[in-house]
Amino acid sequence: MATSKGMNGTHTESTPPAGLRGQTVETSHGLADDPDFLDPVGHRPPLILGAPSFHDVTEAVARPLERPPTRAWWACLLASLALLGLLGVSIGWLFWEGIGVWGLNNPVGWAFDITNFVFWVGIGHAGTLISAILFLFRQKWRTSINRAAEAMTLFAVMCALIFPGIHVGRPWVAYWMFPIPNQMGMWPQFRSPLMWDVFAVSIYGSVSLLFWYVGLVPDLATIRDRSKGLRRMIFGAFALGWRSSMRHWQHYEKAYLILAGLATPLVLSVHSIVSMDFATSQLPGWHTTIFPPYFVAGAIFSGFAMVVTLMVIMRKAFGLEHIITMKHFDYMAKIMLLTGMMVGYAYGLEFFIAWFSGSAYEVFTFKNRAFGPYAWAYWTMVSCNVFLPQLFWFKKVRSSLVWLFILSIFVNVGMWFERFVIIVTSLHRDFLPSSWFYFRPSLFDVTTMIGAFGLFFTMFCLFVRFVPIVAAAEVKSVLPQAAAHPNEAPEIEPALPGRTDLLPGGAR
Amino acid sequence: MSAPHHSGGTGPRPASLHTDALHLPPGHSWHRLPTVGLTLAAVGLGGSLAFGLLGGTEARHQLWHSWLVGSLFVLGISLGALFFVLVQHATQAGWSIVVRRLAENVMGALPYLALLFVPLAVLGLGDLFHWSHPEAVQSDPLLQHKAAYLNVPFFLIRTFASFAIWSVLAVWFSRQSRLQDETGDHEITRRMRRRSAPALILFALTVTFFAFDWLMSLDPHWYSTIFGLYFFAGSVMSFFAVLALVALAAKRQGLLTLVLSDEHQHDVGKLLFAFVAFWAYMAFSQYLLIWYANLPEETSFFAKRMVGTWSIAGTVLALGHFIVPFFFLLPRTIKRNATALRLAALWLLAMHLLDLHWLVMPNLHPAGMAPGLLDALTLIGCCGVFLAAFGGALKRRALVPLRDPRLPESLTFENV
Repeated sequence: MATSKGMNGTHTESTPPAGLRGQTVETSHGLADDPDFLDPVGHRPPLILGAPSFHDVTEAVARPLERPPTRAWWACLLASLALLGLLGVSIGWLFWEGIGVWGLNNPVGWAFDITNFVFWVGIGHAGTLISAILFLFRQKWRTSINRAAEAMTLFAVMCALIFPGIHVGRPWVAYWMFPIPNQMGMWPQFRSPLMWDVFAVSIYGSVSLLFWYVGLVPDLATIRDRSKGLRRMIFGAFALGWRSSMRHWQHYEKAYLILAGLATPLVLSVHSIVSMDFATSQLPGWHTTIFPPYFVAGAIFSGFAMVVTLMVIMRKAFGLEHIITMKHFDYMAKIMLLTGMMVGYAYGLEFFIAWFSGSAYEVFTFKNRAFGPYAWAYWTMVSCNVFLPQLFWFKKVRSSLVWLFILSIFVNVGMWFERFVIIVTSLHRDFLPSSWFYFRPSLFDVTTMIGAFGLFFTMFCLFVRFVPIVAAAEVKSVLPQAAAHPNEAPEIEPALPGRTDLLPGGAR
Repeated sequence: MSAPHHSGGTGPRPASLHTDALHLPPGHSWHRLPTVGLTLAAVGLGGSLAFGLLGGTEARHQLWHSWLVGSLFVLGISLGALFFVLVQHATQAGWSIVVRRLAENVMGALPYLALLFVPLAVLGLGDLFHWSHPEAVQSDPLLQHKAAYLNVPFFLIRTFASFAIWSVLAVWFSRQSRLQDETGDHEITRRMRRRSAPALILFALTVTFFAFDWLMSLDPHWYSTIFGLYFFAGSVMSFFAVLALVALAAKRQGLLTLVLSDEHQHDVGKLLFAFVAFWAYMAFSQYLLIWYANLPEETSFFAKRMVGTWSIAGTVLALGHFIVPFFFLLPRTIKRNATALRLAALWLLAMHLLDLHWLVMPNLHPAGMAPGLLDALTLIGCCGVFLAAFGGALKRRALVPLRDPRLPESLTFENV
C-alpha cells in the first residue's frame, strides 16, 4: 500500500529527477487510479514537483521575462491587439452614433452592456479568493497560481469598468458617477445600487492592485538583482528598495495578512452589491433575497473557470508544469464543482420560491425563463453551469487537461449566459404585454463583447512578458526545505513536552 | 475497546497517544453528564408539558412555540457539528483532528433530538402552523395554492426524511471514526472523504427545506429564498460557540490538556468569528433587499418584528449578534484568551437563542416580547436532552480520534 511511506522523507523517494519534471504527472492517467494519488492520507507530499532548489524556482519564474519573446507570444499579442482594436472601433462608433447602435429596445433597456459588466466583475473574484480567502484558510497550494489569478482579477476589473462607462449614453459626463463637489450642487443618487457599484468596484480594483503589488515586491527585487542597465533601474524603482532583510519580511507578512483580511469582506461585498443592481428592484426574476450569496458563488465559479483556462495554457507555454501541477487543477476542479452546485441550488430555489410565493408574476417569469423565447439561453446556462460540471466528480476528468480546458470554457460560456438570462428574460416580457419585445443583439453588441476579451488578453500577454508570473518568493516558502526543520517529521514531542510515555508504542 | 497501541490494521501505525490520557478517566465529573442531562430534560420537558397542556389553549400555544425554539436551538448546534465534520473530511483538514471527536459527539445528539420533534409533530402542528387547519386553507386562496407543499402528510414525510438523513450521516461518520481508533486503517479516512461530498449535498438540501418548513412556514404567506442559508449560518455559528466552550471546559477539567493547544482554540475562534460575519451577511442581505423593494407580501415579516418590544430585539440582534462580537473577536489575543473566548461564545449562544425567539415568537405575541416560564422550561429540557446525548457519546469513546493518520499534524499545528 502506498501509505507504507513514512511521515516524511517521501519527497525524496517519490519525486522524479529534475530532468523529468512535469512529465510525470502530466500523462499519468494510470496513477489517477491509485487512491493515494495527489492526496495521500499518511503524509502531505510536496506541492512543487521535482524537488527544485530555491534557485531552480527563481530560474523557472525569471526565465520567461529574461529571454526574448517567443513567436507564440507575438502571435497571441497580435491577435489580442486585433480584438482590442475591434473594441476601440466599437466604442468609437458607439460614441459617435449613440446607444442606438446596440440592439436595445423598449422593455430591454439593458442587455449586453450590463451582462458583460457583471461577467467581468465575476471573473475577477477567483483571483481575490485565491489570494485572500485561501490565504486565510492556509491553502498553500494557492501560491503557485495566485500571482496570475490576481493579475487576471485586475484585467477583468478593467474590462468590467468599461461597460458602465460607455453605456451612460453621454460618456462625456461619465464623471458624474463620482461624488465630485460642483457649483451646481449636483450629487449622485446615493440610494441607488448603481452608485454603490461605482464605489464597490473602484475600491475593489484599488485594493486588488495594492494586494497584488505588495505580493510582487520581493519578486521584482529578484528580477532587479538579476538584470542590468535600464531594466535594473525600472525593476529597482518598482521594488521599492526591497533587500529581503528580516525586517522587510516581517513587515511584508503583516501587510499581506492585513490586506488579505481587508480583501476578504471586500470580494464578498462587490458581487453582493452587483447583485443588488437587480435585487433591489421589484422586478420578478431580479428581486429575490438569495441574490447576494448566489452572485458571489457564481462569480467564484466563473473566475475559477477562467483561471483554469489561463493556467492550462500558461504552465505549458512557460514550462511551469512542476509548479502548477495536476493537484492544483484537481483542487480548482473541486471548487468549480462546489460553486457550480451552489448556483444550481440558487436556480432551483428561485423556481421553488417563485411557485411558493403564489405570485402570478413570479410564476410567469420563471416559466417564461425556462420555456419562453429565451429557453435556449436558459438551458445553455443550466447545462454549462450545473449539468456539465458534474463531470468533475470523476477523477479521470479532474486529471485530464483536455477535459479541464473544455469544461472551463463551457463554464465561462454558461456564466455569461447566466447574467444574460437574468437580465434579458426578466425585462423582455414586462408587466404590460403590449410592450413585450424580443431582444436581438446588434453587430456592435457582439463586437463590443468580443473586443473586451481583446483588452483582457492584451493585458495578460503584457503581464506574462513583464511581470514574474508566479509568486516565486511564496512558492519557495512552501518547498520542503523552507520548513523550519526540513528533515524532521512532525513528531508529537512538541505538543507533549516531557511525556515520552505517550509516544507510539508507549515508552521509546 | 482494544488498546490502540497494539499493532493492527494496515499501513504504519500512526503516532497514537496513550489511551488513558485521552479517555474520560473513571470517576471524572463528566461521567455524570447523561444523568444531569436527563434530569434537566425530565424537569424541563415534564414541567413544560404539565404547565402547557393543563393551562388551557393559550398555554398550549405557548408551549409548542417555546418547545420549537428550544428544539431548534439544540438542533442547530448539532447540525453545525455535522457540517463541520463533513467539511473537515471533504477538505482533508489536518489542524482540526483533535477537536473533531468533540464535534462528532455533538453531532451524535442528532438521532436523539429527533425525539424532541415527535411531540411537536404529533401534538403541536395545529398550534404552530396556520396552514395545517383545513378550514383556514379553504378561506385562503394563497394557502390553497401552497397546499401541494404545505400539507401535513408531506410536511411530516419531509421532517422524517431530514432526521433520517442526519441521523444516518451522524452515526456513520462517528462510527467510522471510532472504528479507526481500533484499526488505524487509512482506508477509513479515504472512505469518509469520498462520502463527505455527497453528504454535504444532502445536508444543504435538508437544512434548507427544514428551515422553510419549521420556521418560514410559521407565517405561511411569507417567503425568502435566503432563509435556509440564514438558519444555516446562525446554526453553524452556535456550533462553533459550543465547540469553543466544550474544548475550553475539557481543558479546565483536566482533559486533553496536552492535546488542545492555544492554536486549536485560536482556529475555533476564527471560525466563530467568520460565522458571526456570515450570519450578518445573510441577515443584512435579507433585510436590505426586502426593505428596499418594499413589497407588502415580503415586508410583512419585518413589519411584524417592528412592533413594540420586538423592534428592541431586532436592534439587539444587529448589535449583539454582529457589531459587538465582530469587533470583540477580531483581535488575535481575544481568540487565544480562554476567558475572553468563553465570554464571546456564551454571549453568542444567547444571541442565537434570541434570534430563534425573534423568528418564532412574533407569530404568537404580535404585540411585543413576552418571555415566560415555558420558554425557560422548554429550553432547559431541550438542553438537557442535548447534554445527555452528548455526555453519553463522550463516555463511549476516546476524546480524540486516536489513530487518525493526520493526528500528528493536528498535534503539532501552529498558526504562523
